[in-house]
Amino acid sequence: MTQTPVTDSAVNPQVAAAPVAVDVPMMRLHVKILRFNPETDKKAHWVTYDMEAQPGDRMVDVLNEIKWYKETGLAFRRSCQHGICGSDAMLINGRNRLACKTLVRDVAKDGGTVTVEPIRGLKVEKDLLVDMEPFFDAYRAIMPYFIHPTPFPAKEQYQSEANAEKMAHSSNCILCACCTTSCPIFWVNGSYIGPAALVQAHRFIFDTRDEAKQQRLGVVNQNTGVWRCRTAYNCTEACPRGIPITQLIEEVKREVMFGQS
Amino acid sequence: MYKGREGQWAFLLHRISGLAILVYLLLHVFSIGSMIFGEPFYMKIHNTYDFVLFRLGLVAVVAAVVYHAFNGLRIILMDFTSIGVSVQRQAWYGVLGITALATLYALIKLIPRIAGGY
Ligand code: SF4
Ligand code: SF4
Ligand code: FES
Repeated sequence: MTQTPVTDSAVNPQVAAAPVAVDVPMMRLHVKILRFNPETDKKAHWVTYDMEAQPGDRMVDVLNEIKWYKETGLAFRRSCQHGICGSDAMLINGRNRLACKTLVRDVAKDGGTVTVEPIRGLKVEKDLLVDMEPFFDAYRAIMPYFIHPTPFPAKEQYQSEANAEKMAHSSNCILCACCTTSCPIFWVNGSYIGPAALVQAHRFIFDTRDEAKQQRLGVVNQNTGVWRCRTAYNCTEACPRGIPITQLIEEVKREVMFGQS
Repeated sequence: MYKGREGQWAFLLHRISGLAILVYLLLHVFSIGSMIFGEPFYMKIHNTYDFVLFRLGLVAVVAAVVYHAFNGLRIILMDFTSIGVSVQRQAWYGVLGITALATLYALIKLIPRIAGGY
């Protein structure tokens, strides 16, 4: 990020230096972050940081650089930094993305500006950190766990390849909230359980071994459920896991109409 | 503004056109129904509709109704078939095309009325 790249070994000698492509030209970029400190600010405000980065750096690297060397107070979530934990959903250049799966060269030109904002529709606690509780409440509402037949089957419950295929997309979800917080319906009405919870509901509704399908269909059939979806496709465009969310939601709608007993 | 793609704008236009049609319908019912207060009142209302803005509004009503109707068909297609979802983008451009043609037709047909009033 700086002209002589700071490697992990400079910070922590225990860690082996990661290979750094020294001959790759650095890009200059202005990183404009919507910051908010609940202790001192009434309103969120933009702060711009002038940074340098390699085109192949990820936005999470740039944010780390800001946090470690420029503004230690900057608050944002990240953990795995490899697109698995779903912690670092944020609004980058007007679209929801995971900072760890977004390359600098895909969002900025040399000398350009990148905007970073917290995801929408959830209360901002500090900077890019939002209160995820309502999101996980919706997740809990659809009963995101497998319900087996009673008495517990003595034998393995066979799952055919064709039946496993029905859950192939929905079981890829990492609960990052990119989808739910890109949904115009959710912004206006926070009680809508949102695309992420519906993807999770799909995961179990279309699991042929699950025993609680009717109960789950009942949950998504409530007035905060699947019918709130007005097929705006923002969720599908935003999902970092490439899940065809709207298609899954439409499958759930049809299951409520035709598969409910 | 969130940088959504076609689907977001399709949804937003559907909402706006729906609300616009609702307002038009209420106004329409009220002005026709105003006959119960006698002809002078009825005529007074209808003379206000002679404003250029209202005359141009006729074209807007056609645009809103045609968009809302055809996008409604697009939504039915998406709700009932998985093909509908996979071609939603193309379907929306189709809807826009039909709306543009219908609006143009209405505009041409209504030019005398827009220019000359009743
Ligand atoms: S469906 Fe996609 S965008 Fe939504 S929470 Fe899961 S991984 Fe994230
Ligand atoms: S498709 Fe449905 S859930 Fe997804 S963004 Fe649109 S309205 Fe929201
Ligand atoms: S930090 Fe884990 S998904 Fe980005």
